[in-house]
Amino acid sequence: MYKIFDFFFLKITVILFSFLCVQAYSEDLRIKINSGQVEPLPIAIANFTGKTENVNNIGLQISTVISNNLVGSGQFKAMESAAFIAPPTSPSIRPNFTDWSPLGIKALITGSVKSINDDQIEIEFRLWDVIAETDLIGLRLTVSSKAWRRVAHIISDEIFERLSGDSGYFDTRIVYVAESGPQNKRLKRLAIMDQDGENHQFLTDGSFLVLTPRFSPSSQEITYLAYFKNEPRVYIFNLETGQQELLGAFPGMTFAPRFSPSGEKIIMSLAEKGVTDIYTMDLNNQEVNRLTDSPSIDTSPSFSPNGKKIIFNSDRGGSQQLYIMDSNGKNVKRISFGKGRYATPVWAPKGELIAFTKMLKNKFYIGVMSPDGSGERLLAEGYLVEGPTWAPNGRVLMYFKQEAPNDDGKSTTVNLYKIDVTGFRETRIITPSDGSDPAWSPLLLD
Amino acid sequence: MVKSTFISFGLHTIFITFAYFGLPDSKVEEPVEQPIDIIDDTHINSITSLKLGNEKKEKLKKIKKDIHELQKNKKISPPPPPPLPTKKIIEKKNAVLKKAKEIEEIASLIKKKPNVKIEKKSKKKPPKVVKKPEKIKNKQKEFLAKGILKTLTEPKVFQRKENKDRKDTNQKVLNKIKTIVGNSNRQVQQTEIRLSQTDINRIQMHVTKYFNLSYAASEVKMIIPLKISANLDGTIKTARIIDKSLYKKDKFYRAAADAARRAVLDSSPLPLPKGKEKKFQNFIFDFNTSFINDY
Repeated sequence: MYKIFDFFFLKITVILFSFLCVQAYSEDLRIKINSGQVEPLPIAIANFTGKTENVNNIGLQISTVISNNLVGSGQFKAMESAAFIAPPTSPSIRPNFTDWSPLGIKALITGSVKSINDDQIEIEFRLWDVIAETDLIGLRLTVSSKAWRRVAHIISDEIFERLSGDSGYFDTRIVYVAESGPQNKRLKRLAIMDQDGENHQFLTDGSFLVLTPRFSPSSQEITYLAYFKNEPRVYIFNLETGQQELLGAFPGMTFAPRFSPSGEKIIMSLAEKGVTDIYTMDLNNQEVNRLTDSPSIDTSPSFSPNGKKIIFNSDRGGSQQLYIMDSNGKNVKRISFGKGRYATPVWAPKGELIAFTKMLKNKFYIGVMSPDGSGERLLAEGYLVEGPTWAPNGRVLMYFKQEAPNDDGKSTTVNLYKIDVTGFRETRIITPSDGSDPAWSPLLLD
Repeated sequence: MVKSTFISFGLHTIFITFAYFGLPDSKVEEPVEQPIDIIDDTHINSITSLKLGNEKKEKLKKIKKDIHELQKNKKISPPPPPPLPTKKIIEKKNAVLKKAKEIEEIASLIKKKPNVKIEKKSKKKPPKVVKKPEKIKNKQKEFLAKGILKTLTEPKVFQRKENKDRKDTNQKVLNKIKTIVGNSNRQVQQTEIRLSQTDINRIQMHVTKYFNLSYAASEVKMIIPLKISANLDGTIKTARIIDKSLYKKDKFYRAAADAARRAVLDSSPLPLPKGKEKKFQNFIFDFNTSFINDY
């Protein structure tokens, strides 16, 4: 009998308690926080520890690459390791947070490297929230010891995503046109490197001129334009096999080939009888389809991320402006109405912005606007800035920049730059020689 | 028809019985064996089994009798006489008597009999006493009489007390009615601690300084509520992200919620308004990330 009553009272207590909880929640005081700061987050990246000297060196290099990546993004501020009170020994040991919070650190990265055999290493890391005193993410990877740099980029992406919410862009590559030699005999070669300028490689030997390289959605192929015996040809370069495939030799001039989001088509512009129009070519059956048919110059086409729209520039309205059309070439609509000329539009990976080059009063600009043409913002300017390309997360743009010629008329160097989409933190990418026409790959791990 | 009614009635009864008492507990708890504590034997006979001899018993009886007799004698004996009055006491008494005489003389100056009034005071008839001093003509007499009347007018106080009691009872009845009608909540609200906009602004400004986001937070379209538990000195005990499901699903929300939690913990102690600290023992911060779009 007591049991029955106990159970009965227990039920009543539970109901009353839950009711009171709901009541208490609904009557709580609420304070709105409607503003805040957008400043680099202070973080500490401890050296990845190892038991042997060799492994320890790899750990040190990994932590350096992670630090450079995160700080280079402009969203993080790394604390000098000399300021650490008690450097952590292992990622599996919970750090003493009171050693870190007085330094103003908000997040701490610890890691270790372990040698599995002569070739393989095991890399482990953990990201800690110093203020909440909890771990946010942890990962263990077993890779070839030669791939430590790649692992450092992957770890950087994980940390970036966990702390900002956005996908990272560190495990990516850049293909660009490496330039060298005098202006009248310029050598232009296809080159590829990691997004931070490391692992640089030349893909072509410079025996013919190359232009406008673009990555395929799988990051394994590059389409580009090459002048072979003064005839423009569209090639596809396979990065895995190193083989080049001629896509087609088109009569007249060919410009700016680019993959569709599915990777099944190439979109480009072809000049014929003084008229330049936009075409697509199906890679499966080599079928060419004409999308625009106007007496003007329509060029620089770029698909929207969902493949339903195409942005391009055209002088059909009198001056060079940006236009949008459906993927079948219908419903052409002008979106840019500002002063000056607009060119090289590129749709952002998330589809919310379009980057472009603008020419106004003898100056070049890199800018962004919404697909409906609103909200135009100019991010970078220079004597010649051109060819924007998006990082896969759509937060950073890369382009090339040439300074004004010297007093003696000699041209200055051409370099690659990247800038945050907010217009802050313009950073030069170090390349072995001059560089132009960059293209950013999608995330390699995807 | 009747059969189905009985079945229905039976089923309903069973259902209601189970709903009321719940299902019987199938699990029978077996008694748990308690460990036995082994304690060393202790010899306690020497204390408990002590027997008194006959001589000692008689002695004890005698002592008890003596004590009893002494107590009886104490009860019978008369109380000690009061101490003789000293000179000082006599002088004091005389002074008191003199004063009383003087008062009597002054009172005799008043036409109406004050003695009667005093008697009336004991009978609780104050209104008549209040009216009588108005008839005093001489100012000196009036002042003097006032001094006496102060004591005479005491019944007035009784009257006020009575009025107060009545008021109290009326108020109690009114309160009861109000509680029944439902006005009691308004009274409770009046006694609650009220926060001014300045109090809120001060806390908002303080937390804002620590709320650091990345541009990716523009993807967060929801308000991020955090349940806060704070001490009276403003230090944060706990900051809990309320929407756990969204925290797990949405990476943008998760990062922004972590930033919000860091802001709260980092801003500890909060500048709580003095005297209103209790209001902040449990409350909610609603973080809105839409300000990023203005950057």
